[in-house]
Amino acid sequence: MDHDEVDQTMTDRMWNHITRTLVDTGRPPHYAELAGALGVTPAESRALLHAVLQVYPIGWVHPDTDYIASFPPLNGLPTQYRITVRGEQKWFAQCGFEATSATWLFPGERVRIDVACLDCGEPLTVEMLDGRLTWIDPPTVTGHLNYGFGPSRGRTPYL
Amino acid sequence: MNLFRSEEHARRWEAFRPESEEGFISLPDLAGLFGTESRRHMLHADYLSRWYPKRAAERREYLERIGKASPFWLGTPNPSA
Repeated sequence: MDHDEVDQTMTDRMWNHITRTLVDTGRPPHYAELAGALGVTPAESRALLHAVLQVYPIGWVHPDTDYIASFPPLNGLPTQYRITVRGEQKWFAQCGFEATSATWLFPGERVRIDVACLDCGEPLTVEMLDGRLTWIDPPTVTGHLNYGFGPSRGRTPYL
Repeated sequence: MNLFRSEEHARRWEAFRPESEEGFISLPDLAGLFGTESRRHMLHADYLSRWYPKRAAERREYLERIGKASPFWLGTPNPSA
């Protein structure tokens, strides 16, 4: 199934199912699990997944597989960006920047981001509620972009 | 795209690139950059087709507003490269 042949409604539905599964369970679904929900065959679901990733290239599958590794703002693979909601830590953010966007997936909930600093390993914590920063510890926490956005980007894991 | 305990911690990070000195962003600015209008619709059924395509323009507008209109932040080719 070529991307141009894919119904936009179906890519919308798949994007939504992946994101909602991540929100509900903390892990990304396999395309075969999504086939039934989307009313397609597993093979069609696989093609749809790759069509979605063409439109949404900031997400990616693990190399040489169809396993969703990253689907920002959340991540399938564990990262140092642990997300806790309602006292439950079962989510990871793709990166430190996307972590500040996870709040929009949990409306009305306090979203806590716990991070081990890449320099010293000591913890830092950011808490948000509906996009507002409600707690920062230590107050000196900063964001840092090591490679520029766009064509000047470096290798993905080191962004 | 990382969070550090402070700018000093980022500069001490073994993988810190000196060229990224302009890559610091405060948490309020970061929350704004990743909280533009389209981001608020990520749970909507038509997010991918309707809202995601708006992100690039929103990001550019926001970065220009907070004074980060360089090729490094905008993702445009560096004229001096």
